[in-house]
Amino acid sequence: MKRLIHIVIALLAAVCPAVAQTDTAATVVRPVLAAYTLEVGSSHLCDTYLTPLHYSGWQTALGYERMQAMRFDPERWIMRLGGRVQAGRALNPAHNAAMWHFDFSLGWDMMFRHRLGNGFTLAGGGTVGARVGALSLMRNSNNPVSARAAVTIGITGMAVWNGNLGRLPLTLAYRPTLPLTGVFFAPDYNELYYEIWLGNRSRLVHGAWPGNYFALDNLLTADLHFGATTLRLGYRLNVASTKANNLVTRDISHSLVIGITGEWISLRARSARTPDAKVISAMY
Amino acid sequence: MKCKLPLIITALVAALAMTSCHSVDEAPDSPEGNFDALWNIIDRQYCFLDHKGIDWDAVYAKYRPQVKPGINVLQLYTVCAAMLDELQDGHVNLTTPFATSYYKKWWSDYPQNYNERLVDEYYLKFGGLTRGGFTYAILNDSIAYVRYPSFAAGASDTTLDWMLMLLRDCKGMVFDIRDNGGGSIAAVETIVSRFIDRRICAGYIQHKTGPGHSDFSEPYAYYFDPVDPEKHFSWLKPVVVLTNRSTFSAANNFASVMRLLPQVTQMGDRTGGGCGMPFSSEIPCGWSVRFSSSPVYDAEMQLTEFGVDPHIHVDLDPEKALQGIDTMLDAALTFLEEKSK
Repeated sequence: MKRLIHIVIALLAAVCPAVAQTDTAATVVRPVLAAYTLEVGSSHLCDTYLTPLHYSGWQTALGYERMQAMRFDPERWIMRLGGRVQAGRALNPAHNAAMWHFDFSLGWDMMFRHRLGNGFTLAGGGTVGARVGALSLMRNSNNPVSARAAVTIGITGMAVWNGNLGRLPLTLAYRPTLPLTGVFFAPDYNELYYEIWLGNRSRLVHGAWPGNYFALDNLLTADLHFGATTLRLGYRLNVASTKANNLVTRDISHSLVIGITGEWISLRARSARTPDAKVISAMY
Repeated sequence: MKCKLPLIITALVAALAMTSCHSVDEAPDSPEGNFDALWNIIDRQYCFLDHKGIDWDAVYAKYRPQVKPGINVLQLYTVCAAMLDELQDGHVNLTTPFATSYYKKWWSDYPQNYNERLVDEYYLKFGGLTRGGFTYAILNDSIAYVRYPSFAAGASDTTLDWMLMLLRDCKGMVFDIRDNGGGSIAAVETIVSRFIDRRICAGYIQHKTGPGHSDFSEPYAYYFDPVDPEKHFSWLKPVVVLTNRSTFSAANNFASVMRLLPQVTQMGDRTGGGCGMPFSSEIPCGWSVRFSSSPVYDAEMQLTEFGVDPHIHVDLDPEKALQGIDTMLDAALTFLEEKSK
């Protein structure tokens, strides 16, 4: 926990001087990129609190993402806020038991970007995320549910290429996210939620590091710009695994992503822009 | 060095990715693989191996040779069920699409000591009030009789309030949990809270913390609180809890808590036990297995896996039963009448 606090303080310390030195609001327009996505794909799950077997099935998710160049140094710093709700159903190898799963995640990233030229941009930075969810195997007796919860800090990056596919403007992006530390919940080996409800809450919260909490999210997207509307197509590979209290969880999901994105500019009177204001997009 | 840093970081992240995705070994879906998976689940997760003095390796040596390649599912089921019977635990079941194994000796080796028809016909005269799982009546003009045959449906505060209000003038109560096979342990608290006037330690619960046979958490005390007497009816007069060998699991827990209350006397036969909270898992062919994983101790830190002895032992006399007499219920009624004089 102390480690977590130190990292947050270090991050704030890095940002605060920049805020004090720069104010470009009057001459720069920082459009907000908003994306709404639907994901459909497969999931492969294992949670030894519920079962030692691997379950496979389908999953679907709704996502929202908001990106914007940061006020204090919009050319070099960008932020991303994202939320995702995922649900699905998977079957055991014998196909005689079903596991439902639900997951809600939120993340906020701050990245330093470097434009390489020829439409290429690389960005890297930190991410703060939170996740809650549950797996449910209702045929189990006193262990029908395995809850998931985590608050993490990690690293994230983005590789972007803005170009054309024929005459169609196109943005290709690859975005990995990897939590490095934080805290996460795991029930004790054979502890029933009834016992937790009675009040025994020892050994439930664990410090996270990639050795016991590994969650690599890979998102590859192609944004096709049709005039004012942008169609997003993509692929997400999410690999997550935890090991605590002699229990192992392992979730792998593959998803096709489809959605729409758009950039919008605030028209608040107080922040009126000059006609020659520079537009700095977070990704395009 | 500077230009190598990104490479080093990438290599480190890649190495973490390779090593951190924790693997879970899955046994093959073969007769041998399924048997081994079942044996391993019990070996790593069952909580009473040491308490019962079971040599689980010897059990493997006894049954594993019976699992030969090519045996059919019924043969595999029979061997697996026989192996699980070695645990002597009514909370252990192997559930398949065609059968569920069930260890019966905790009750089948003893007299049943209960005949529902006998009570219904000769004591309740096929009457009494039934609501929310409770059947209740006033016997011998002054003794409340409450039968609660299962904890599965839970217990409603409304039903308990009405029942205790209607029985409030009685001098004593027989709480009959013979043949009660258990159910929700939460219902135990709901009912016990009507028989106490201050917070009590109801017992201790433990759970396995790892695959070793002696990997257990520290016992955790849990408490029951009385209901608010301004809002609910309680019963603090004498009570006899009637038990038999088929009083199991949550009902066994109920007896273990009630019998330590000052106004309560347990009569009848020893309970059937079952003090391990069950947990579930499964084997590669999709058969599910239920087993005890969290021992529950009584308030005196005693395990009641093999049952709770009554304060006063009484059996049902089969010959008198033919004459319409439940000798256990009669003993309870007489005891309470004597006590109220």
